[in-house]
Amino acid sequence: MKHSGFRKPFVLSALCAAMLLPGVSAWAVTDQEILDDVKTTDQIVTNGMGLQGQRYSPLSILNTDNVKDLRPVWTLSFGGEKQRGQQAQPLIKDGVMYVTASYSRVFAVDARTGKELWQYDARLPDDIRPCCDVINRGVALYGDLVIFGTLDAKLVALNKDTGKVVWRKNVADHKAGYSITAAPLVVNGKLITGVSGGEFGVVGKIEAYDPKNGELLWTRPTVEGHMGYVYKDGKKIENGISGGEAGKTWPGDLWKTGGAAPWLGGYYDPETNQLLFGTGNPAPWNSHLRPGDNLYSSSRLALNPDDGSIKWHFQTTPHDGWDFDGVNELVSFNYQEGGKTIKAAATADRNGFFYVLDRTNGKFIRGFPFVDKITWAKGLDKNGRPIFDDSNRPGAPGGADKGKSVFSAPAFLGAKNWMPMAYSQDTGLFYVPSNEWGMDIWNEDIAYKKGAAYLGSGFTIKPLNEDYIGVLRAIDPKTGKEVWRQKNYAPLWGGVMTTKGNLVFTGNPEGFLQAFNAKTGDKVWEFQTGSGVLGSPVTWEMDGEQYVSVLSGWGGAVPLWGGEVAKRVKNFNQGGMLWTFKLPKDLVAKH
Amino acid sequence: MELDWRSMLLLAIFALAWEARGAEGDPVTSVMWDYHHQRLLNGEPFVFDERVKLLAPPFAEDARQVPIQVDASAFDGEVLRILAWAELNPIARIFDFQPGEQVLPRLAIRIRIEQATPIRAAVLTRDGLWHVGSTQIEAAGGGCTAPSVVRAQPGWEEHLGEVLGQRFELADASRLRLQIAHPMDNGLVGGIPEFFLNQAELRDASGQVLARLELFPAVSENPTLSLEVQGQGETELWLRDNNGNEFKAAL
Repeated sequence: MKHSGFRKPFVLSALCAAMLLPGVSAWAVTDQEILDDVKTTDQIVTNGMGLQGQRYSPLSILNTDNVKDLRPVWTLSFGGEKQRGQQAQPLIKDGVMYVTASYSRVFAVDARTGKELWQYDARLPDDIRPCCDVINRGVALYGDLVIFGTLDAKLVALNKDTGKVVWRKNVADHKAGYSITAAPLVVNGKLITGVSGGEFGVVGKIEAYDPKNGELLWTRPTVEGHMGYVYKDGKKIENGISGGEAGKTWPGDLWKTGGAAPWLGGYYDPETNQLLFGTGNPAPWNSHLRPGDNLYSSSRLALNPDDGSIKWHFQTTPHDGWDFDGVNELVSFNYQEGGKTIKAAATADRNGFFYVLDRTNGKFIRGFPFVDKITWAKGLDKNGRPIFDDSNRPGAPGGADKGKSVFSAPAFLGAKNWMPMAYSQDTGLFYVPSNEWGMDIWNEDIAYKKGAAYLGSGFTIKPLNEDYIGVLRAIDPKTGKEVWRQKNYAPLWGGVMTTKGNLVFTGNPEGFLQAFNAKTGDKVWEFQTGSGVLGSPVTWEMDGEQYVSVLSGWGGAVPLWGGEVAKRVKNFNQGGMLWTFKLPKDLVAKH
Repeated sequence: MELDWRSMLLLAIFALAWEARGAEGDPVTSVMWDYHHQRLLNGEPFVFDERVKLLAPPFAEDARQVPIQVDASAFDGEVLRILAWAELNPIARIFDFQPGEQVLPRLAIRIRIEQATPIRAAVLTRDGLWHVGSTQIEAAGGGCTAPSVVRAQPGWEEHLGEVLGQRFELADASRLRLQIAHPMDNGLVGGIPEFFLNQAELRDASGQVLARLELFPAVSENPTLSLEVQGQGETELWLRDNNGNEFKAAL
């Protein structure tokens, strides 16, 4: 290593610096590149393949006719003794792939050869508190930095060439149950992150940092009653209490440990300039302890990216009693109706309903079940609020050890969980990875204790059908019609991607990465990766060829919380591989 | 301009003499000298020099905590950098010290050694020459791959980066002696990633850097350091590890 001693750095003249800038932007990830990611095909610099999170690629070199010739070109093992769930989406910039693995690790890999360039292993404390496996969902790229969140609730920025730490910031106290597993996103020069920890009675929050140095810019609590702040010139300035004041939709002091963790991160809609985040379950699970709607738990929030103020909210499960987190991605899309363009956003909730909202104001347009069985609600009213079936809410303990147990569908792991759906601009359909399962659930008494699980519920999860749990569905957001379905024996837990080549890609716990005809649902290709696929696939173009990458590595919440479902998955072995496929040039010509 | 063959010969003889001087003067026997000379000193001109005092126990009673001390006071005012390494360690480098104007070119530290090894301290003076001090430590071995003591203590994370230290007044300076709580994981123990302090700066009250120190995982866990600083002003030690944790202690 070379040192410059105590010499002062040379002072560049303004002219000199200006001349250097274009050279810098040639390799650094810029705000414009992030905005353009949705249409660029030679790199992927956002989680979601575009800030709106549609996971749609305009590439069509690979299509339903030639996908049978898609073949692996390299794999990389994440190594280590601890093989756990791998849920990240790879990013690709300048021929280098950046991906995270279990236990807060980051890998930079030559995208052409699979050669590892560097690896960063966060040194985690022994007392991290991840509720649902030690996973991570990916990095953000900005400038020459690779930025990700850790299981001990830190943000870490690494140099893209060396993997060395450039800055590191504590987002929240891991001893209180906070952690970070979602990929952060960068919008207009701000790095935005949420936090996990709803099972520990944390107070959810969304925060913006300066990606260059990790300085906090604003913070927005997602539980009613907590003050939001913006930070200017080292000063902390009040920016309004979330929800106006405490106590409107929460009893007593329960808002102080209210959960609503935005643990899956979020997306950004450039057309309306708003961040779209989802929030988790209210804490504790036992709903009888907290009468009221419990805002902003189990909701979708639209935030102003400049200061974090809430522009609108839509609560999918008010007064949740089933762990129906509202974190699932709210995907912006436009459609035509009556000669008008509707700026809509859609989400497939844990609670079993698919919602289409007007994303300019959060108003409900329509909603419908996307799974076969829903017991907890009889339907949605005209505003999209559920019509509860009170007999199917688990009972209050009322002095007994356990309250009345009920059978509820969907199960707490959701009709759809974290795994992101995809929207095709060609078919106008959403491709939704869903699961058909239910649970017995009952309530127990619970008191908050810092850092301890704060549920107040017991549960056991059950399949609804002998031959399948997972169902990949093609759903028309304009009609609520299911256009096709593909069943899967084990629960689906991997992300979905769709392409202009009329393809839909997703993986399953059995280890297959699969491709389907986007119009018909016919399975047109599959490849066994050696372990369960929980990651989100991506596709990009390099040297004139179309590539597909996905992580393989079984784990996640299903084997940890699986109840009777665990029997179906107990023989799925762990892994930890990054797979990359391509369609060779000469085979494209052949078709 | 062209050199005739006689000049070339002269140059060759000079080079030979230089090499001979290097190899012959080595006070310890080491098969690794050339390797480290190339890798750490970029093959730059050097002399083995007894004026660089490198003190270490002849035998490492505890291979995980071996005290060494480098004293280059003989070159006071001329020292730019001091590098130290243990030649036969899997991770050889110990520190890279830039004492600056106000800090004396003396440093004491505790290190880990994996086996009996020569230790070197190379002092770069303003004239561009490396003065290399040497010593040999005998050891039973295993200091770099032995299980961590720190990590076996419950709640060690709570104390991460805590500094115990004191300032002692000497005739010509103040001696700062301190210990920093840190596991200094070197990545050689399976399943435990590298996690070590790699940067330190001694700063004055106005934040000016008085001395810079780069550390490597050959340094013992809970590193113990002694520095000597001139003047009575307040000083602050700033530390950073490879995970990006930063620590500060006023001394």
